[in-house]
Amino acid sequence: MKSKKLKILSLFLLSFVLLFSGCNYGGGSSSTTSSGEGSEETTNGPRKGGKVTIPIVADPTFNPWHPIAYAESNVINRVIFSGLTQPGKDLLPAPDLAKDWSTSEDGLEWTFILRDDVKWHDGEKFTAEDVAFTFNEVALNKELGANNSSYFQKLKEVQVVDDYTVKFILESPVAALPAYLSFNTEIIPKHIFEGQDPWELTSFNKQKPVGTGSFKIKSYTSGQSVVLERNDDYYGEKAYLDEVEYKVLADANTHVAQLLSGELSIFALDDLAAIDRIKNAEGVEVVARDTTRFFWIILNQQLEQFQDVKVRQAVLHAIDRQNIIDTVLKGYGTIADTGIAPALKEYYTDDVKRYEYDPEQAKKLLAEAGLKDTNGDGLLDKDGKKFTIDFKIGIQGDIEAVSQMVQQYLKAVGLDVKLNTMEWNAMIQDVVVKRNYEMSLNWWRYPSDPDLSAYMHSANVKGNNIPAYQNSELDKLLDAGAQESDVEKRKEIYLEAQKMMAEQLPYIFLWYPQEAQVRVEKLKGVPDLAFGDALHYINEWYIEE
Amino acid sequence: MLRFMINRAGQSAILLLIVTLITFFLVNLAPGGPSSTMRMEATEEERQAIVEKLGLDQPVHIRYVEWLKNGLHGDFGTSFTSSEPVIQRIMERLPYTIELTIFTIVISVILGIFFGVISAVKRGKVGDHVINFVSVIGLSVPAFWLGLMLILLFSITFKWLPSSGVGPRGEDFELWGWISHLIMPVLILTTTVLPHIVRFTRSSMLEVTSQNYIRTARAKGAKESVVLYVHALRNALIPIITIIGMLIPRLLSGAVITEAIFGWTGIGTLIIEAARGRDYPLVMGITVMITLVVVFCNLIVDFLYSRVDPRVKNV
Amino acid sequence: MEVSTQSTIQADVKTQVKNKKSTLLSRLRENRVTYLSLWFLVLIHIVVFLGPFLWTVNPEDLQQAGALAGWSLQHPFGTDDLGRDVFARMLTGGRVTLVVGLGAMLCSLLIGTVIGACAGFMGKVVEAVLMRLTEAMMAIPTFFFVLVALTVIGTSPLMVVLVIAFSSWMEIARVVYGETLKWKQYEFVEAANASGATPFRILTRYIIPQIIPSIIVAGTLTIAGAILTESAISYLGLGIQPPTATWGNMLQNSQQYIWTAPILGVLPGIAITVVVLAYNFLGDGLRDALDPKFVKK
Repeated sequence: MKSKKLKILSLFLLSFVLLFSGCNYGGGSSSTTSSGEGSEETTNGPRKGGKVTIPIVADPTFNPWHPIAYAESNVINRVIFSGLTQPGKDLLPAPDLAKDWSTSEDGLEWTFILRDDVKWHDGEKFTAEDVAFTFNEVALNKELGANNSSYFQKLKEVQVVDDYTVKFILESPVAALPAYLSFNTEIIPKHIFEGQDPWELTSFNKQKPVGTGSFKIKSYTSGQSVVLERNDDYYGEKAYLDEVEYKVLADANTHVAQLLSGELSIFALDDLAAIDRIKNAEGVEVVARDTTRFFWIILNQQLEQFQDVKVRQAVLHAIDRQNIIDTVLKGYGTIADTGIAPALKEYYTDDVKRYEYDPEQAKKLLAEAGLKDTNGDGLLDKDGKKFTIDFKIGIQGDIEAVSQMVQQYLKAVGLDVKLNTMEWNAMIQDVVVKRNYEMSLNWWRYPSDPDLSAYMHSANVKGNNIPAYQNSELDKLLDAGAQESDVEKRKEIYLEAQKMMAEQLPYIFLWYPQEAQVRVEKLKGVPDLAFGDALHYINEWYIEE
Repeated sequence: MLRFMINRAGQSAILLLIVTLITFFLVNLAPGGPSSTMRMEATEEERQAIVEKLGLDQPVHIRYVEWLKNGLHGDFGTSFTSSEPVIQRIMERLPYTIELTIFTIVISVILGIFFGVISAVKRGKVGDHVINFVSVIGLSVPAFWLGLMLILLFSITFKWLPSSGVGPRGEDFELWGWISHLIMPVLILTTTVLPHIVRFTRSSMLEVTSQNYIRTARAKGAKESVVLYVHALRNALIPIITIIGMLIPRLLSGAVITEAIFGWTGIGTLIIEAARGRDYPLVMGITVMITLVVVFCNLIVDFLYSRVDPRVKNV
Repeated sequence: MEVSTQSTIQADVKTQVKNKKSTLLSRLRENRVTYLSLWFLVLIHIVVFLGPFLWTVNPEDLQQAGALAGWSLQHPFGTDDLGRDVFARMLTGGRVTLVVGLGAMLCSLLIGTVIGACAGFMGKVVEAVLMRLTEAMMAIPTFFFVLVALTVIGTSPLMVVLVIAFSSWMEIARVVYGETLKWKQYEFVEAANASGATPFRILTRYIIPQIIPSIIVAGTLTIAGAILTESAISYLGLGIQPPTATWGNMLQNSQQYIWTAPILGVLPGIAITVVVLAYNFLGDGLRDALDPKFVKK
């Protein structure tokens, strides 16, 4: 009797749940407008309607330049706003608000021709004034400390030539400028921000942003969700989807659960532990995508004991990178030789010095660097003193798991590594701000351009060159590459630079992680790009019934 | 009564002052800074600009005095991580925590008194042992582990209940959607307080039933159920009310874990975010608010205490 | 003269206590659950503290078997997500967890006893201040402050122990306070007072020995609470950090494998539950055995 009741109850519950999950995408079918684009609509082609749901881990800020706009904001802002350029499907900069651009002979002036058919979501016309305002008043305003403003350190100012032409005036040539302009540097409306503190304007940043993108804000509930609706005045191809919903879900397990139950449509899976479960699930697919990221270990180059290149090379030989990729990244990664990722097809090469997993070679190199086990405790000593390494990491994503494996591999060749796992902000304070560390492990993500000066040029020792690596020859190559806008010549320069990076190891390059992009199979039209880049083309996405 | 209230208010004010003082210096002197200054890519220049903009270039004690001054005027500043007023951020989240805790308290009190009385009545018998055993298990299971196991069972295996979130709200409100999201969080939070109420009710009932007036009532031939529920329970309620007061801090602490497991966007998840992001004003705001809530609850408990037991003349 | 009466009274009390102790053991034996819990705890402590000497696999080493290997003779509980021996990690993790529990218990006993005894013995202003402080600490949700403290200060094992102790001494203080008030009125204490013994001596020689049974009960229950708190803060990622294993952080780490290897979370979860359960039963049993009101007919 009791069990029967239970069964009925569970059936009842189950039917409710089914009904629920059925509804998620059902919303689209009811509001499908089969009129209008009738000519384009074939049985298999894209259809208007439906919605996609994307997870974000925290409340967003609708202002791409705001210092508190992190990843969760980026994935929304690039849909609401538009930049002058956007990453092309080949990752080279492609037109967006700017139709065309050119650089002067000396490379000190870039001219951008803007579209004249763009309207802000509130109906105002978009003009060159908005571009000049965004850069001159926000990005270049030193007092604001805007996000990503470090890309524009060489930018003097932006001049308005006419309503639809702007000129970027540089101190020295920056070949990567169009690439930088496609990377979280969207244009914000002058008519709203003028005379306001751009960080304090919460009516915009936290409530009702006004952009130029293919979707505009519909509603936002803190801690819950952001809903965008199609912008029917969009200057490009109008979107197929009716709505894009971003759900605030802090926990990665929840992302997986909701993907499997059909409540989420697409995202980049950060924690790959659940990948097998997702691969086996019905109606969900996983695709691997190259990204412009690289994982690294750094040994503080300001400390004398780590300045010998042999120590850095030995560390790389000691670590079984393929095993870490297989174990922690579940195969989603490629062994790195330098910082330039395979995603940058034009520039990437693996024809450089490579470091196989070879503990014996590691020991040999360490011995050559003067590290020997003199007291027979199995750990290496230098000049009769214990050689210990303080390994500081922050708690985030895979870093903790990877670091524990690295520690074991280094112990195996006799390096006494003390792992010090820190809360993220405290780690940044110690490692990045104070440079009070010996060894650390982390990763960089950069715009789709091979210019890595920010991370290893000696001019940036106080900036993002955290290992404080200094090498005048590498500097020369990086400078040449940064200024050269001819792609063929650039390739040659970066080929040379990569050889040197692999040889000298300013960073101990670990791997280029691949993104595991998970999505429901019904979602079509997503270009073959990393999730973040594919968002620029959200107007092409559609739901297949 | 008035004197009592003044006394209590004074004590609460001192408590609040100490709590804010400790918390303020703790968060401000701790390593790391607000997330906006702790972006990996930020340059020294950008960091400095933001530090100045947030007013963090002032010494800590000056900032505390400033904060206290503004706080006394009801201004708790703006959150570093969203530039919105702290009060607004707290008020957005507070209703969810209140919702969760009220459901939990109501269910725990009803079930707790029910099982506690049964346990006392059946003292030494099987029923008592079973209830006691289950209570101790409830006290011993890590709440989050139980939560994960429930998710594994009901969300992953059977797919009956949603694993996370507060469910559809506002326009999309739907009864089942709301309840289905509440079931597991309330269940988990209940396990953290229910055993206390059961055990306390039991011992309180045992104490009362051994008193003379109950024996008298029995001797006078009153029905056993009348004796239990009219005479005994009423008197046993007094200590139970105090334990509910004492459980409120436990409930709020349990809410942090419960909210974290089930993505329940209440105060618990907010304080974790705030502490991680070094959102000093927000941490302080939540601290003050939580302390006030607890102080207020204790006042209510004292008040109820005096109402239920006429012998207590507000000392 | 005075001295002799004092010592006879003291001896009297001592025999009383002795009798109490022997009846305590027999009472404990009567309560099977408590007795069982006691032996179980003894066993688990032996396993966890001596086990690593017999099972010599290093809990931090990466094993040949690779990650997430199944149960085998070589790895009785398989390997974890990085390819480390789960059995070895359960043993050393248990050691850390239990040491944290014991350490936190000792610290809170220390704080609680000092505050409770001082308040009870000194009376007046000291009593008022200390007991208001205790009540205040009980009234605020300390877990919030624990979270903030651990997030911003960091999570070394010592910090974790201190922070847990800081949030769990109040119950002990109240018990000790009550007991001190009670024993203060006994003749032998008053006699000692009259003979000019210093308050410190009276407290440590005459009063505290009498309340040790109550302290043991409170301490037992505190360990249970401390282990649970440790696992809760580990769940939020604020506990003791890897590579040091604790049952709490093993459980936390297993979360992400709930889809593909749920067994990783089941083992430490059961271990924590069973140990906490045993401590709770033991504490309850001890309390019942000590409390004359709850003696079985």
